[in-house]
Amino acid sequence: MTRLSSPRLAGYAGLAALALVAGLAAGRIELVALATPFALAAVVGASVGREPELEATLALDRERALEGEDVGLTVELSSPTGASRVDVLALLPDALAPARPNPFAVRLAPGETRTIELPLRCDRWGAFAVGPTLVRARDALGFHAWETRLGRSSPLRVYPSVETLHALLPPFETQVYVGNQLSRARGEGIEFADVRPWTPGDRVRRVNWRATARRGELWVNEQHPERNTDVVLFLDTFAEVERDGRSTLDMAVRAATSLAHRYLSRKDRVGVVSFGGFLSWLLPASGTKQLYKIVDSLIQMDVVLSFAAKGVDFLPPRSLPPKALVIALTPLLDARSASAILDLRARGFDLVVVEVSPVPFVDPGKGGEVPELAYRLWRLSRETLRARYERAGVPVVEWVDGVPLNVPLEEVAAFRRYARPVRA
Amino acid sequence: MLVYGALLADAIVRAPAIAGATAAVGGIGLLFLALVLWRGSQEYLPAAAACLGGVYAVAVVVHGASVDERAPLVAAGLLLCCELAAWSADERTRIAAERPVRRTRAAALAALVGGALAAAAVVVALGAAPAGRGLAWTIAGAAAAVLVVALAVRAARS
Repeated sequence: MTRLSSPRLAGYAGLAALALVAGLAAGRIELVALATPFALAAVVGASVGREPELEATLALDRERALEGEDVGLTVELSSPTGASRVDVLALLPDALAPARPNPFAVRLAPGETRTIELPLRCDRWGAFAVGPTLVRARDALGFHAWETRLGRSSPLRVYPSVETLHALLPPFETQVYVGNQLSRARGEGIEFADVRPWTPGDRVRRVNWRATARRGELWVNEQHPERNTDVVLFLDTFAEVERDGRSTLDMAVRAATSLAHRYLSRKDRVGVVSFGGFLSWLLPASGTKQLYKIVDSLIQMDVVLSFAAKGVDFLPPRSLPPKALVIALTPLLDARSASAILDLRARGFDLVVVEVSPVPFVDPGKGGEVPELAYRLWRLSRETLRARYERAGVPVVEWVDGVPLNVPLEEVAAFRRYARPVRA
Repeated sequence: MLVYGALLADAIVRAPAIAGATAAVGGIGLLFLALVLWRGSQEYLPAAAACLGGVYAVAVVVHGASVDERAPLVAAGLLLCCELAAWSADERTRIAAERPVRRTRAAALAALVGGALAAAAVVVALGAAPAGRGLAWTIAGAAAAVLVVALAVRAARS
């Protein structure tokens, strides 16, 4: 424990000494009387300076929570020697808001154990460490204080809330495994596709008797098979813009979580690529375990400043499987991610760019012509970049903070309804 | 501040001849006390107490040869003033303290001030009592002063 003594303790002793010497010199008992309380306070202060024994433990009622939920933090304090005042500060990340005051001060009788419940509201997603506690014990008159860190930190994962998505983007091409996505190809399935002449090997149950009767030869039905798709969520983590606790990365993570949750619930394989200063990826897979893997990787994502030139070549080929639908969530702020997206398109990936708009997070600039001009130029450069994507056949849709994710997805779906997939 | 002001007014009234100087030095002490309360730092507290204590000492010396019977009250009041200011400075940090914490400090402060008042009263009573004069008493007084100085040095080093 670090011991801190109040400066007034030495001051009191000095005052008492001064008054006593003055009293002695002047021969006045009043000055000795004046010295007495300060001498007494100094003696009391020196005598109460014994280090108290303190123990503290921290416990969370669970390790995982959803954004907006409450998590209970229990701080247990005990002291065999007792302490007149114990100030306790549980070290909490900004994203966790305590429902009662933190720090707080309690009194501990000798041998007493106090349990303090500290409900925490999870304001934002993330992987956090709750604790330890900073503890400061004081004597009854505040002459001495002892400070230390007690307890261990507990991990807490706060998952982002999932937005309800009405419709998902269908990919141009499906994979070979069975899923819920209607393939454009023809084969065994439920949904009727077309009729064709019978060929050896066709089963009798597939014969379309009405067409056969009309044409005088055997015709069979063809169906669209139900297949799964590979979806890669491509997150641009090179840069972000933040304002009032909201940021473009925050929006991108929420969107990625919602998309992963929805795609995985319909048996698709979903992978994640975090393309930024710190490169990370998750190979596409399906199932609940994959959902947890994705969300765990998403909540640990952060913008890492880097000046290294990075391209799609750095990614392992399996992280971007052929025929995969790549949904890029990007604020289009860094030239490296902008060119990587064009590179993906050039490699023939079915690509959709959801531009997480940084515009609402940026002030237009006031107080002169230059800031306003700079702002307009910045907007224009963004328009130019968007037009470049559109020329390359990449649907780009702007997603503004506060607008449901369904809106940009619907815009992309409308674009793709009339678009013809071409190899760049 | 009220206690400090009352003690300062008492010192001014006690020695009207030097009221101006008393008020000036007391005012400086009051400024030190205001600084303690404003900044929440106890470093200037001894200076504030020293100003008022000095003013009182000069007033007592100027006043005359008779023993001031209110000296214990002044001494305890000065300590109370300092302790209240220190408590105020301690409470500057926004820490939600439960009621027993404040009660404990209030009780400790009351005990300290009460004990100080009693001790100062005993000192004044002993001083008023007829006692021998001479080298032994002077040595005893000097030893007490040295003891307090030693205590001050030890407290400063800890």
